[in-house]
Amino acid sequence: MAQLTYLEAIRQGIWEEMERDPSVFCIGEDIGIYGGAFKVTDGFIDRFGPERVVDTPIAESAIVGAAFGASLTGMRPVAEFQFMDFIGCAFNQIVNMVAKAHYRWGAPAPLVIRGPSGGNVHGGPFHSQNPEAWFVHAPGLKVVCPASAHDAKGLIKAAIRDNNPVIFFEHKYLYRRIKEEVPVEDYVVPLGKARVAREGRDVSVITYAAMVHVALEAAEILAKEGTELEVVDLRTISPLDREAIAQTVRKTNKVIVLHEDVRTGGIAGEIAAIINEEAFDDLDGPIVRITAQDSPVPFSPPQEEYFLPKLSDVMREVRRLKAY
Amino acid sequence: MAKKKKNVPKAQGRHNSNGQGRGDTQLHIPNSPQRTYTIVDHRLEKPSFTIRQIRKGDEVCYEVTGDLTAPVPPIHESKYLDKKQCLEIYRWMLLNRKMETALENLYKQGKVVGGVYFGLGQEACSCASAYALHKDDWLGPMIRNQGSLLVRGFSARDIMMQYMAKAGSPTKGRDASSHFGDIERRNVVAPISTLGDLIPVLAGVALGARLQGRDIAVMTYIGDGGQSTGVTYEGLNFAAVQDLGLVLFVENNLWGYSTPADMQFRVKDLAERAIAYGIPGVIVDGTDACQIYDAAHEACERARLGEGPTLIEAKMMRMKGHAIHDAAEYVPKPLVEYWRKRDPIARFEKYLLGKKWLTPQENEKLIADVERELEADRDFAVASPMPEPESAAGGVYCDSSCHEIKPKYAVPKVRVAKSGVATPRQTAVHLK
Repeated sequence: MAQLTYLEAIRQGIWEEMERDPSVFCIGEDIGIYGGAFKVTDGFIDRFGPERVVDTPIAESAIVGAAFGASLTGMRPVAEFQFMDFIGCAFNQIVNMVAKAHYRWGAPAPLVIRGPSGGNVHGGPFHSQNPEAWFVHAPGLKVVCPASAHDAKGLIKAAIRDNNPVIFFEHKYLYRRIKEEVPVEDYVVPLGKARVAREGRDVSVITYAAMVHVALEAAEILAKEGTELEVVDLRTISPLDREAIAQTVRKTNKVIVLHEDVRTGGIAGEIAAIINEEAFDDLDGPIVRITAQDSPVPFSPPQEEYFLPKLSDVMREVRRLKAY
Repeated sequence: MAKKKKNVPKAQGRHNSNGQGRGDTQLHIPNSPQRTYTIVDHRLEKPSFTIRQIRKGDEVCYEVTGDLTAPVPPIHESKYLDKKQCLEIYRWMLLNRKMETALENLYKQGKVVGGVYFGLGQEACSCASAYALHKDDWLGPMIRNQGSLLVRGFSARDIMMQYMAKAGSPTKGRDASSHFGDIERRNVVAPISTLGDLIPVLAGVALGARLQGRDIAVMTYIGDGGQSTGVTYEGLNFAAVQDLGLVLFVENNLWGYSTPADMQFRVKDLAERAIAYGIPGVIVDGTDACQIYDAAHEACERARLGEGPTLIEAKMMRMKGHAIHDAAEYVPKPLVEYWRKRDPIARFEKYLLGKKWLTPQENEKLIADVERELEADRDFAVASPMPEPESAAGGVYCDSSCHEIKPKYAVPKVRVAKSGVATPRQTAVHLK
């Protein structure tokens, strides 16, 4: 076991896959000598050479397109977006070229698109977004949002080994803020499976990425007042683990869906619909959503604090729902 | 066998294209330290005309100005093609043309789902270009390059079944027209409807091959309209910077749907764009199969030697509308007449007959042969079943049982360097 930060866990995961499988390579901006804007690929070019750590011009469509093309020859590219906010620049390649490839012409696209997303770092509207919902909406893609160092490493390995295109959102707030024991031996965390981060019986919070830690913090405090929160970390948000979602609802009968993404069109709506389909009769209260407000991410710290879902939001909603 | 890299010839002519005769286009930037670029121009004629929107009474329409009286030049002798190869290319072009005629008839009989796209007048470009590819090379066809799909090993029945949305189509009914491919045998990337997107993908194919120790040629096309997109720039620039073997045919057929080339870009010749990417630019007559082949051959050879991309501008005209529904009445009639005389198949036929590589009887037999093949394909395609409705389900994801993914050419050689899994340097980052 080793103590690793979330970032270091991802780095090791990619490194190990590159050691293990010569068809894996990295492509992106400033990932070579610079080691990546967040240093995720630090040391990679020394170890693996510039052939397998490809620095590109500032051209996201080309990064994704070229990664897809390389995957057609049997390679497994890991394409980095310096900030996932820039994924809009490659949107057409992702949803039209890549996502539809297997369905319409039988060409698998075993590529990973990864990068930092999320706010609470005073990054402003273009360095703090949570774009995942746009890609959950495109059939053919898998969307992963790890919340722990252990899962980040296991999931990036699983994503690289997966034959499907995986969009891997690394929450930048978590990069260096969480550190945990991570196994040194090879392990994978399966895509499409949630985990119960904390068991409880009173109210469920279904969440992912940085908000998992907000929910866990709330759970600690609420436990002292006799409320047991069950925190379900989705880990993969496409495909969603319907069974895990249903199971927690059956257990507590009261559920909050919490995400840092904005409210309208965020996947809390999708999860609420799934709960309706899978476990309507098990509900003892309305499905509650705690999300960011419907706006771009504001820059100034007090504004960003207002924008983001807070610990106090979770506390308030849990108490309200418990009393329903 | 690799040919020695041909030296780019010294520029001769001045920058004007009214004259007859060959000569490369030299471009100068006035009033600045002299920078001279050379665009190789293989054409035997260099017409100069402009298409403008003008008001004529109540209407606004397109008008063409320029000299359209020049006689049709002969086919340029090929440096590389022998008789057998020329006859093969000719046959492909015939198959291309007649297949599209058959598709048009099928459409009129109500057997086609959706529209039909034609490459009428562009058969030389589609067929002669793809003919230069080797087995390990890749092709990314666009909508009017159906001839290239035939050259690459798909059959007319494949394309017909695509148009008729049949269960046996290469996409099993899931996509239309030329939107299909083959990653296993024929090395074809399926296009999508948005333009320019194939360019970075084909560049990536070359990148993947290179990582497996191979420099291959990857060929794709873009139109005078399509090249306006941002992804065209990104893809081509990426290929250039990485020295990937991209052979890009810019098919300047003068019309992007109803928009003339003069409203798509300001440069005189699209080949000039090559300067901006730092790659060689070549102009060929798109209705001359020999010029197309020679340019493709040289570009592919460069690619296979790891010398990077080439931009080949093929000049021709789209002789039908954007799709079957489009009568293209907006095209000025003098322009249609000018290019009709330059029909690539008629020109090549005349060339082959003139060289006595083909007798009139052999020609008739060849044409009859092609028509017979198409008849069989047509009957097969018409008789083949539509897909079951439920066949729309499934295949969105690739699970572990449907594809085994491994490097196509060779397992990439991994270099083992001494540096270990060091902890990353604690340098400042963009956002803490």
